[in-house]
Amino acid sequence: MSDQDRADLLQGSLDLLILKTLLLEPLHGWGISKRIRQLSADVLQVNQGSLYPALYRLEEKEWIAAEWGVSPEGRRAKLYRLTAKGRRRFAEERDGWRLFSGAVERVLAAT
Amino acid sequence: MSWWSRSREQLRPSARRSRYGEMDEEMRQHVELEAEDLVRRGVPADEARRRARLAFGSVESYREEGWEARRSLWLDDLARDLRYSVRTLRRSPAFTVMAVLCVGLGIGVTTTIFAVVEGVLLRPLPYARAEQLVSIYAANPLRDMRGVNISRFDFDSWQQQSKTFAQLGMWSWSNMTLSGGGEAERLETADVTTNLFPLLGVAPVLGRGFVAGEDGGGREHVLLLSWGLWQRRFAGDRTILGKPVEVDGVPYTVVGVMPERFAFPQTGQAWRPLVRDPQNDSHGNRFYAGAIGRLRDGVTQEAARAEMKRISNDLARAFPADNLNWEAELVPLREDLVGNLRRPLLVLLAAVGCVLLIACANVANLSLVRAAARRRELAMRSTIGAGRGRVLRQLLTESLTLAAAGALLGGALAVGGVRLAGRAFPQGVPFYVTLGVDGRVLAFVAVLAVATGALFGLLPAWRAGNLELGSVLREDTAGAGEGRRRARTRAALVVAEVALSLVLMTGAGLLVKSYFALVGTDLGFHQRGMLSFRVTLPSARYGERAQRVAFYDELLARLGALPGVEAASAAQGTPFSGWDVQGGISIEGRPAPPPGQDLDALYQNVEPGFFRAMGVPLVRGRGLTIHDDDPDAPMVVVNESFVREGFHGADPIGARLKIGDQTSEDPWATIVGVVRDYRHFRLPQPMGPAIYYPMRAWSSRTETIVLRTRLEDPTTLMPAVRDLLRSLEPDAPPYRIETFEETVARMLWRQRLQGQTLGLFAALALLLSVVGLYGVVAYSVAQRRREIGVRVALGATRRQVVGAIVGQGARLALRGIAIGLLVALFATRLLADLLYEVRPHDLATFVGIPLLLAAVALVASWLPAMAAAKVAPQAALRAE
Repeated sequence: MSDQDRADLLQGSLDLLILKTLLLEPLHGWGISKRIRQLSADVLQVNQGSLYPALYRLEEKEWIAAEWGVSPEGRRAKLYRLTAKGRRRFAEERDGWRLFSGAVERVLAAT
Repeated sequence: MSWWSRSREQLRPSARRSRYGEMDEEMRQHVELEAEDLVRRGVPADEARRRARLAFGSVESYREEGWEARRSLWLDDLARDLRYSVRTLRRSPAFTVMAVLCVGLGIGVTTTIFAVVEGVLLRPLPYARAEQLVSIYAANPLRDMRGVNISRFDFDSWQQQSKTFAQLGMWSWSNMTLSGGGEAERLETADVTTNLFPLLGVAPVLGRGFVAGEDGGGREHVLLLSWGLWQRRFAGDRTILGKPVEVDGVPYTVVGVMPERFAFPQTGQAWRPLVRDPQNDSHGNRFYAGAIGRLRDGVTQEAARAEMKRISNDLARAFPADNLNWEAELVPLREDLVGNLRRPLLVLLAAVGCVLLIACANVANLSLVRAAARRRELAMRSTIGAGRGRVLRQLLTESLTLAAAGALLGGALAVGGVRLAGRAFPQGVPFYVTLGVDGRVLAFVAVLAVATGALFGLLPAWRAGNLELGSVLREDTAGAGEGRRRARTRAALVVAEVALSLVLMTGAGLLVKSYFALVGTDLGFHQRGMLSFRVTLPSARYGERAQRVAFYDELLARLGALPGVEAASAAQGTPFSGWDVQGGISIEGRPAPPPGQDLDALYQNVEPGFFRAMGVPLVRGRGLTIHDDDPDAPMVVVNESFVREGFHGADPIGARLKIGDQTSEDPWATIVGVVRDYRHFRLPQPMGPAIYYPMRAWSSRTETIVLRTRLEDPTTLMPAVRDLLRSLEPDAPPYRIETFEETVARMLWRQRLQGQTLGLFAALALLLSVVGLYGVVAYSVAQRRREIGVRVALGATRRQVVGAIVGQGARLALRGIAIGLLVALFATRLLADLLYEVRPHDLATFVGIPLLLAAVALVASWLPAMAAAKVAPQAALRAE
């Protein structure tokens, strides 16, 4: 896949994507980036340089929590999971996003 | 994570370190997992690792950005910012070196002056509880006399009546001839009451100090040595204690050695007890140099002043003849010792502050240029989420890093500077001044570093904080150069620099002009090839006037016969020697003048031929001869000022005068001649009326010999002079040996130094601000290359292009000069009492300095203008 086919993440959307992946199951950092790639059929590339700062930011806000556990690959890894606060937050962020993307769609669909 | 655990973590550095470790591990794992994933998809292991790492980027920087999220850990942020700053600064070495040089220079000179101010004005004197010490002199406000000698009687009265002083001690200047065990040597010394050194809180390091009762009654022949004298003359021999040495031909016992570096009053090298002597202690005789008192605990200077005022008033009522209008003058000891340095030092500190400000403005300018070049970087950073505060802080950290580097350089410069400053004192740094870079000076450097960093960092940082990506990109694509606001800021900085420089240069100009006015003063006597020294005869063998007259006649005759000597004579004191005895004068047949309007005159004794030797012309009558030796009806010579003030220009020859009022015991003296005025008081004090009495009518043991020679360096005569003196009287070695040129240089050292130093600072300021101006004009030329190219393409001539650019620089310079002139008009008033024969608003200075600055500014703008004129239209257009 060439670079042109990949979309950069829109400012603010990364948080939403992280929350969504963690809603499904606790994951470590690499797992999150891989899951986003998979779920978006390789269209969305999470720049690792923004992933970790985002993770720490979210942790700071207490939307996600981190603890050291054992990864599916069987090694010690830092696993992130969604907190109750994060769960509520996800709903808000998702609604906000849908409102936004729907609005953009409608504008683009206008003839 | 709970609030509690997070704050605990902030408190424990080890926890923070372990978090760093966690993060490292997490990111390393990310790369490994990515690589493994790639391997599973069939990429060779090595290549997989490489690609994984490439995809991830620098672990280091992401780790740092990871920390970015943890705002609470600001210390880590700081460390991160610092590392980032150092990296960025290293990438632009030219900027960094320039900035560090500017700041370093500014901080260096500022710190040097501050260290001197601290050592001289702020550090406590090396005495116990020095803030309680007060110098006391006599003063007569009505006659405008201050800091005058005091009388034993007044001192005793103060001692008996004062309740504000715990102790009072008295001292007087003295000299002594030390002989026995080597060649006789003349020393500057002081006589002190036995309680004076204990009062100061200084004890001998060897032996004992004086004890009560050693001020007469045969017990007074005891001597305290300075450390230096003990080392030099006695080779630090401890057995010297209790041994006799010969002082002025009388055996004295050495009782103690004072601590190293201690001196009193300023350069004294040995001390004797101040002896009660009926000759000197007569009631109104203000014979002793001064007193020093220690205030009781909790007593203020004001309370002591009020009490002494009351005592003085009582004395004036009880003894009107001697004490009317006389009062005690109290000066804090520090003020007494260094008060005359306060104003020049503060002026220098202000000047050096200006230099530092100019340096800061320069660096701020450089930073602005650089910020312009970094707009893309900064705009990008803020777009990808760096907050405005974050960018601001990063830029400030950069400035502070620069300032810290500058402070290091400046601190090093200051260490050298302070050493240089120490050498500026003509007779070495006085012992009560400790010059050096101490904790307080270092703290000052640190404060300067932060202040300067904030000063030159805030402006560009604030500007950068306003960046919007859109506008930055638009500007860049349009090639419009930097924003107008930024250009305005830089212009304003340069205007401020020019203004500050002008103020500084004007001040320096005035002081330098004053110095030259002082140096150029017509002193009224011959200066080249003149040599002076003092001789004091031992009292034991020269008790009779005839003995003294015979000795000095012989000495002067033999000195006059030395090869190279044109004339030899003597007086009590030569010009600027500080022998400034003055008194109220009465002229025969005149009514007593109203109080405060006495005719005051300098009076001193001179040998025949003194005026001829000095090159002072006689304007009327005759000079003194060897026959003018009657102490009961002396013949005197007066100067022209005396004739002007005492006789309103009428012929005074034959008139009679006396010292004191009409009824005083002084003999009536007849005026036989008038000489032209010559400067006797230390400049800038003007010359006043003077009377010259015949030395031989009384003949004192001490005379100051004056030799007029044909020699380039008259000091080459000294070996012959010493031999001559040794053959006449081995116990009368010459001392205070000086050429007149040396005397004048020593008198003017402070004025010369302040002129030189301020001149140096002004030159620095000029250089810095001109570099600043050049930078602004050159940068705008670089920015406007395309515009200039277009103009040239449209037919603008070379002249027009150069004119436009020079005009831009000239406008900035003129604005700075105008503002600077306004400020200087106020600022130079503060210099008024440092100036000599130059008014604070001296026209030549206020015209010449701006012209000089304008000329230099024109050259600074002309250089980039020439570069602009060479712009070829095609090249400029292609550059885009």
